[in-house]
Amino acid sequence: MPTVSVKWQKELYPAVEIDTTQSPYVFKCQLYDLTGVPPERQKIMVKGGILKDDSDWSKLGLKEGQKLMMVGTADVIAKAPEKGPVFMEDLPEEEQVVAVGHSAGLFNLGNTCYMNSTMQCLHSVPELKSALTEYPQSGRSNDLDQSSHLLTVATRDLFNELDKNVKPVAPMQFWMVLRKKYPQFGQLHNGSFMQQDAEECWTQILYTLSQALRSPSTSANLDTVKELFGIDLVSRVHCAESGEESMETETVYSLKCHISHEVNHLHEGLKHGLKSELEKASPSLGRSAVYLKDSRINGLPKYLTIQFVRFFWKRESNQKAKILRKVDYPLELDIFDLCSDDLRKNLEAPRQMLRDEDGRKAGLKLKQKNTSSVDSDVKMSDAEGPSTGSGESSKATLGEAVASDKNVQLTGVYDLVAVLTHKGRSADSGHYVAWVKQENGKWIQFDDDNPIPQREEDITKLSGGGDWHMAYICMYKARTIPM
Amino acid sequence: MESEPNNTASGSGNPKEEATLKVPSKDPKTKDDKKDEDLSEEDLALKQQLELYVERAQDADLGLQKVALESMRQEIRTSTSSMTSVPKPLKFLRPHYGTLKSYYETMADSDLKKLLADILSVLALTMSAEGDRESLKYRLLGSEGDIGSWGHEYVRNLAGEIAQEYSKRVNEEATVDDLIELVEQIVAFHMKHNAEPEAVDLLMEVEFLDLLVKHVDKTNYKRTCLYLTSSARYLPGPDDVSVLDIAYTIYSKFEEFPSALQIALYLDNMQHVKQVFTSCPDLLRKKQFCYILARQGISFELDEEMCADEEDREALQEIINNTKLSEGYLTLARDIEVMEPKSPEDIYKAHLLDGRASAGASVDSARQNLAATFVNAFVNAGFGQDKLMTVTSETSGGGSLGNWLFKNKEHGKASAAASLGMIDLWDVDTGLAQLDKYFHSNDNHVTAGALLGVGIVNCGIKNDCDPALALLADYLDKEDSSIRIGAITGLGLAYAGTQNEQIRDKLTPILGDPKAPLDVIAFTAIALGLVYVGSCNEEVAQAIIFALMDRSESDLGEPLTRLLPLGLGLLYLGKQDSVEATAEVSKTFNEKIRKYCDMTLLSCAYAGTGNVLKVQHFLGQCAQHLEKGETFQGPAVLGIAMVAMAEELGLDMAIRSLEHLLQYGEQNIRKAVPLALGLLCISNPKVHVMDTLSRLSHDADTEVAMAAVISLGLIGAGTNNARIAGMLRNLSSYYYKEANLLFCVRIAQGFVHMGKGLLTLAPYHSERFLLSPTALAGLVVLLHACLDMKAIILGKYHYVLYFVVLAMQPRMLLTVDENLKPLAVPVRVGQAVDVVGQAGRPKTITGFQTHSTPVLLAAGDRAELATEKYIPLSPILEGFVILKENPDYREEA
Repeated sequence: MPTVSVKWQKELYPAVEIDTTQSPYVFKCQLYDLTGVPPERQKIMVKGGILKDDSDWSKLGLKEGQKLMMVGTADVIAKAPEKGPVFMEDLPEEEQVVAVGHSAGLFNLGNTCYMNSTMQCLHSVPELKSALTEYPQSGRSNDLDQSSHLLTVATRDLFNELDKNVKPVAPMQFWMVLRKKYPQFGQLHNGSFMQQDAEECWTQILYTLSQALRSPSTSANLDTVKELFGIDLVSRVHCAESGEESMETETVYSLKCHISHEVNHLHEGLKHGLKSELEKASPSLGRSAVYLKDSRINGLPKYLTIQFVRFFWKRESNQKAKILRKVDYPLELDIFDLCSDDLRKNLEAPRQMLRDEDGRKAGLKLKQKNTSSVDSDVKMSDAEGPSTGSGESSKATLGEAVASDKNVQLTGVYDLVAVLTHKGRSADSGHYVAWVKQENGKWIQFDDDNPIPQREEDITKLSGGGDWHMAYICMYKARTIPM
Repeated sequence: MESEPNNTASGSGNPKEEATLKVPSKDPKTKDDKKDEDLSEEDLALKQQLELYVERAQDADLGLQKVALESMRQEIRTSTSSMTSVPKPLKFLRPHYGTLKSYYETMADSDLKKLLADILSVLALTMSAEGDRESLKYRLLGSEGDIGSWGHEYVRNLAGEIAQEYSKRVNEEATVDDLIELVEQIVAFHMKHNAEPEAVDLLMEVEFLDLLVKHVDKTNYKRTCLYLTSSARYLPGPDDVSVLDIAYTIYSKFEEFPSALQIALYLDNMQHVKQVFTSCPDLLRKKQFCYILARQGISFELDEEMCADEEDREALQEIINNTKLSEGYLTLARDIEVMEPKSPEDIYKAHLLDGRASAGASVDSARQNLAATFVNAFVNAGFGQDKLMTVTSETSGGGSLGNWLFKNKEHGKASAAASLGMIDLWDVDTGLAQLDKYFHSNDNHVTAGALLGVGIVNCGIKNDCDPALALLADYLDKEDSSIRIGAITGLGLAYAGTQNEQIRDKLTPILGDPKAPLDVIAFTAIALGLVYVGSCNEEVAQAIIFALMDRSESDLGEPLTRLLPLGLGLLYLGKQDSVEATAEVSKTFNEKIRKYCDMTLLSCAYAGTGNVLKVQHFLGQCAQHLEKGETFQGPAVLGIAMVAMAEELGLDMAIRSLEHLLQYGEQNIRKAVPLALGLLCISNPKVHVMDTLSRLSHDADTEVAMAAVISLGLIGAGTNNARIAGMLRNLSSYYYKEANLLFCVRIAQGFVHMGKGLLTLAPYHSERFLLSPTALAGLVVLLHACLDMKAIILGKYHYVLYFVVLAMQPRMLLTVDENLKPLAVPVRVGQAVDVVGQAGRPKTITGFQTHSTPVLLAAGDRAELATEKYIPLSPILEGFVILKENPDYREEA
């Protein structure tokens, strides 16, 4: 009966007796007592290999005091999880979008960056997307002309494409339809399409959509676009000469930020833009007189569009020249003081709540952190779920939006969600780029077919004052408070 | 090297010029007269005196002659001591050289004639025309008196003439005995006067280095050997071997055994190694030898002759087997306080990037997870703990779905399982325990990874029980090829350089197996190449050659086929001419692979030799413009690096040549250039190479860019170099959308922070003198795999990245006491200075800082003890060094 020493992991068991008359299995059982490793998991190194249960001791040439080494653990065998992780590489292309965290870029079809950037900005409005999904393919209302219908359908399709793809999309169809509807975008110069003013494009598309998306079924004039972007203004028109005064109301789709020498900040520009002088026939004076028009906001939109009036027609050069003046704009815009008194009253309560909420958040940062991590987990599981189809999910958001419509209150506070910038010296030249905040809070610069991630602090640096990209149109999203 | 003694000496060059200038002048006489006027009275007197001597020397009266000659000699001797100007007597005697010469011819043989010959010999120093060697001629005719009495310059000049005369006589096959006699005198003189380089140079010229052994003594043998070893690098074979043999003999003679051992290892002469062991009586010193052997990574069995006592022998063998490497490494880590495991995110440092950080992908990317697996493995290599693999699922971060292993896809799981081997590197016991449970997995990839992991954990470690062989052997014949590859590669890594016959018997049949898929065969060839690296083993070579010949035409086009010639090449790594027979055979291969094979074999055979001719040969190959999309230029470019990496001068030259290739080469050359640069500066981030690679990492060609990114990792491997880390971080945001390049960037980041900065990949060690063949082999395999990045590393064979483990070594100095326990002593660490051939006792390091051991050594660093209390048993302070207490040390009050 030779005695050997057995080394197992870092331990050494000296003087283990081997009964050479018994099979090695007995020896393994001996070791089981010592180490707790079940015999079938034990691997004992002897000359030239592993000790088998039916080996013959005599052939192994064991020596007294020989050192044996045993490998084996009693650890549980690692099992593959029931449901393996889903890898980005395995996903179909449309689902990779979620993983990438932003939607696709748009190819430039020859000076179409103004269109691309406009569409990228509008694409970031989920409510518009869902409204478009609802839009019927064939059943167009009678008062809509064919080209408007086609443009709406093309918009819907383009938005879908953008959502589905990771790789850049070529907006061929849309581009054709747009040119059909608005022939001015089809202008040629030296055989190629001309650069156009993005603001014009923006306005025209919104106009068409507002026409198309007026739901004919409901008796109420439910205009989706107006609801989303329309700003109700109430203006007091005052004539200094005659002392006449009248009230007017109107709905506009964007506020203008006029840039003059005193304007350094968006707020000042907006105030400027709400005051205007006009000349019209005064009934009391019997001649035309100068009227002062002082507008106030009476109804807030969900998405506040602000246009920086950077371009003016320069007669001598016969082009839209650009004002390069730096005008700062905030990530968070409060337009309370631009509102009419009625609206202010209505806003007071929600604003108070918003302030309270902020206070709470500041006080309980820790708790908030926890919830956010839960949030991200939820998101993850969503993403990992089987393909639900983007249509379905957007329907869900639509339902949500509709449901929440009733019990959500605007506060007059807006967050920046998209910036359309221009680089160059005139509206019909240079380069337009869209900077869009994604749902995950990251900013992406859509430079035609090339989406580039950006930092939030860099977004506010697009305020002009040089030859870098400067904001031309800003889109703010309303901060709401549930009631 | 001393080119020609009489040109290097500033004093002797000028007069000769004057002499030659004077001849064409029209009226020498008047000039001389004019000169006379300038002379001081004293000089004039001397001149006249000498002229008188010359006249008298030709006198018929022998007595007068003798007096004249002796006085002349006296004048010369007393004045030659001055080094800065031409000795006056020589100057004044110059016009009479011709006269004396012609008079000498007329003299009858006598002592006087010899005396005159002596004087003529000295005069010839400044007078004789180049190539006449008159100084030597008259010396041989002269009295053969004390050679040193004529001064140092004379001896140097004579040595130069001997060298010329010798080569002339050898050509004419004339006898050289008289020269050798003179040589002996000169050598004796040089050795006595601290001019060892001159002595060595002369002896090398006359091919009689054996003479040196007789003349070295305790005071000068170190300088002599240093000169011998460093000049050996520039000598053509077989001269370099004979020079090193002499150095070995001298070291042995003076019982400087560690140095002798190093030379024996350089020569790869096991007989010498054995001799070192048998001739050294001291056990403690033998232990130090064992540490040196272990660092070189060769397997060596001690026998009774080398160490009589069995217990001692076991202790020594244990050191050779590297069993304590892990312990030492962890001691270093604890001392530097880097035990805390690091996660891949700690390495990526995404928060330092400008907003460009990947948009917080909510879905796992298999590619990125695989990259994280590798980064985690490299960064935590050898520490035994990490944040992905060794943590249990309960403790791992919230939300993750259990084990990290299963966050990898298919073959990715193999690399993940194998990464455990890397994390437990060198700690065989723990590693095997960790890996054990994965053997029982029902997922083939996991099992394959575990097998590979066993190989990794055993890399460079030998164990009497041979656990790697025992565990892996059973899996060699499994059906699943991924399991087979895992086991084969594991064996290759675990037994690299051991020439283990059991492995050969198990692996060679696979090569001949007609049913084995190509990838299995390719990895078998590599494994065999590693096990038999530099052995020139015929049988293995045959097996691989047959395997190559059996490949079908379509197989030969596969990217993995490149591993077969490489396996063959590894057998001849650094063995120079021995490859010739095999290279001849390779000429019969299929056209598709012939040239590729030829380049690979040649590059391996001359790896680490610095052979300039081979570098030129490779450059010539790269200059061809290929039409048919052949790929052999890739290994040729790598070959430049492999050959030229031997010494600094050649290395710098190679870097410049590679720049040219970059500008004029085609794509298949350009993509190999960054890899070659990576090999040349491995773990040694030279700024200009870094800049070149940084530029290439933005190359329009993705393959060039990928190679450059990987090479950035290689040159910074284990250094934590902040500049490279920054570059890679920026690249990670630059390439955030290109999965392939991003993967390369991640791997490179893993390399740079390898072992948290405690490791090096440099195959050269011991002050850049010795080359570890296994380490080089591992790197070469990796680089060859990188030649086709897309198919191999970015494909499903990414585990070739683990071959780098062969080159991984702690870049430390760990001092141990006589019981081999770590001992903290102050050491100075600074930039090494080349002191070869310098006079006096120059400082060997510059810009040093004093630390307490264990310390990290960067590339080009050298350490020296800052205390007299201990005596190191190895002259080179690297790796493990045993310290002995200095018996003469007295504590200062």
